[in-house]
Amino acid sequence: MDRFSKSSRWIALMGRNRAYGIFGLITLTVMVATAVSPSFLAPANVNDLLVQAAPIVIMACGVMVVILTAEIDISVGSMMGILAATLGVLTSPRHLDWPVPLAALAIMGLGAGMGAVNGVLVAFGKVPSIIVTLGMLTAFKGGTEFILEGGWITDLPEGLRFLGTGSILSIPISVGVALVVVGFTGWLLSRTSFGRRVYAVGSNQTAALYAGIPVRWVKLLTFTWSGFLVGVAVLVSAPQLSVIDSGFGTGYELLVVTCVVVGGVAISGGVGTVAGVVMATLLMTMISTVLIFLKLGENATYWSRSIQGCFILGAVLLDHWLRSQKRGWGRGES
Amino acid sequence: MGEGGIVRSFRYWHEIVLLVLIGVVFAFAQMFEPRFLQLDVQRELSTHIWEIAILCLPMTLIIITAGIDLSVGGMMALCAVTLGMLFQRGLSPWVAATMGIGVATLCGVLNGLVVTRIRVHPLIVTLATMAAFRGAAEGLSLARPVSSFPEAFGWLGQGVWWGLPVPAWCFMGLLLLTASAVGLSRWGSYCYAVGMNPEACRFAAVPVNRVLLGLYAFSGFASGLAAVLFVARRNTAKADIGMGIELLVITAVVTGGVSIFGGRGNLLGMVLGVLLIHETREFVSWRWSRDELNFVVMGLLLILSVLLHRWLTPANRNTS
Repeated sequence: MDRFSKSSRWIALMGRNRAYGIFGLITLTVMVATAVSPSFLAPANVNDLLVQAAPIVIMACGVMVVILTAEIDISVGSMMGILAATLGVLTSPRHLDWPVPLAALAIMGLGAGMGAVNGVLVAFGKVPSIIVTLGMLTAFKGGTEFILEGGWITDLPEGLRFLGTGSILSIPISVGVALVVVGFTGWLLSRTSFGRRVYAVGSNQTAALYAGIPVRWVKLLTFTWSGFLVGVAVLVSAPQLSVIDSGFGTGYELLVVTCVVVGGVAISGGVGTVAGVVMATLLMTMISTVLIFLKLGENATYWSRSIQGCFILGAVLLDHWLRSQKRGWGRGES
Repeated sequence: MGEGGIVRSFRYWHEIVLLVLIGVVFAFAQMFEPRFLQLDVQRELSTHIWEIAILCLPMTLIIITAGIDLSVGGMMALCAVTLGMLFQRGLSPWVAATMGIGVATLCGVLNGLVVTRIRVHPLIVTLATMAAFRGAAEGLSLARPVSSFPEAFGWLGQGVWWGLPVPAWCFMGLLLLTASAVGLSRWGSYCYAVGMNPEACRFAAVPVNRVLLGLYAFSGFASGLAAVLFVARRNTAKADIGMGIELLVITAVVTGGVSIFGGRGNLLGMVLGVLLIHETREFVSWRWSRDELNFVVMGLLLILSVLLHRWLTPANRNTS
């Protein structure tokens, strides 16, 4: 029994759920930043941070479900762009001037539809998901510029701007939506048979097939879910800006995948929790802000991307170390 | 370059599909825009494709080993920034370029070490180093550009030698070297073997780690070379060089019939894939002068070529 000393139990806890480890890292970061400049924990700054993280968390919830089935979706960034452009064209008084609720429904439906196309090509067309979504990434990028015709849209209606900038009960709408999405995804993955099936497909696809799980439909649904959430993320993030241009969403696919992976979701599928992903997203969005608050001079902000990269490498190395600790115990489970 | 074992299926269907598609593009061009096919026009249009083609060489081999390298753009940035900063400190651009390529190669070695020693999926390793390298390049240079390189250095990117741009000669030299290494030495078969089954390779005493380390280092070297050509062509070294180029490179390689699951594909297919994507893009923007159509066509081509490949070859591997 002496093997299960306090420290090894702590290691086991961290190994089981990445969320604890990242939570520690976040606490450390917050403590250091607050020590240097106390205004880091000011409500306004915390609010900004959460608003910034909200769309990424929403999309990460979709992408993590896809990655749990051992597939990948890197089309989310471009899909965000094309949906934002469509949203702009639908609602702007100078273009189609649709009512906001109708346009919102259309965007979520369109997102789900685009995700479903990805899903059909992966599950029924048997094309590897990285290729399908890479192709869609490129195609959507062209589609965005096609819709915007090289220009941009500035006249977003007030009702739409409210979705992005408004708040209910002093909680920003985007943060509220993100909370709902996180809660629902957590419930979906841990409390429903669909969630069990997602993990089963990701752990061992052949076994899942033999166990009677409709693998193809599960995959189709995960891609549809991911596309739907991109639509939701667009609704709460695009109206924050006063201008929608073709650059919207560029590079988000890698940011989202980064958050999912740092959050402890195995790229080979079957392992990972929503809590870890949420923590990782908070950490990742914090980094650039923290650099400003640490008062290292303006040149420090240029290093933020580098630090993000080092965090990913750090998470990977930590995992490696934890796994080797476990092997020392002689426990074979993951 | 054989895989052996799958004799019953003809192995070059994908190359034939690509040739037919290229033929279709050329026939279309001949019908509607005959000037598009003239040699000097083609040479003009080809200026920017050579860097991508150079990056495709190591990427093809890495994807054949079931890996991937997303950090090529980051390594390019680090090389360009090294080049620029050393040049600014008064070094000759040639020495600075050599140092830049050296730095990029070291970055590749770092990728290779993490992939082989820690055995993390290369997708994650290079996702991390992509950000780390690019960030380091931005941090070191504070995102400021360096320009006004001497005329002689610009020749490397803009010059024409024996009727072809200098970068084209660089690509063809590197292609020849890579092709002979793959076709004539045992390292070529090692790449395929590692892609098919790394565990079996370890038991068969194939030096898996050395193969992978070499390939990622080669990727770093090629990124450095591409960055030097790019800097010479544009006459500026800046940290945002090659942003998003990894997706272009992977698109070209995969369109060329290299399987993302490893063990399948060849350099000939890759070259045809680059050619098809390049010609289609250029023709579309030549005829309709709308760049956005380009992306749509490229994305659909990628999916279509793999879908066609799936239909034409019997399902002998039940992945996906």
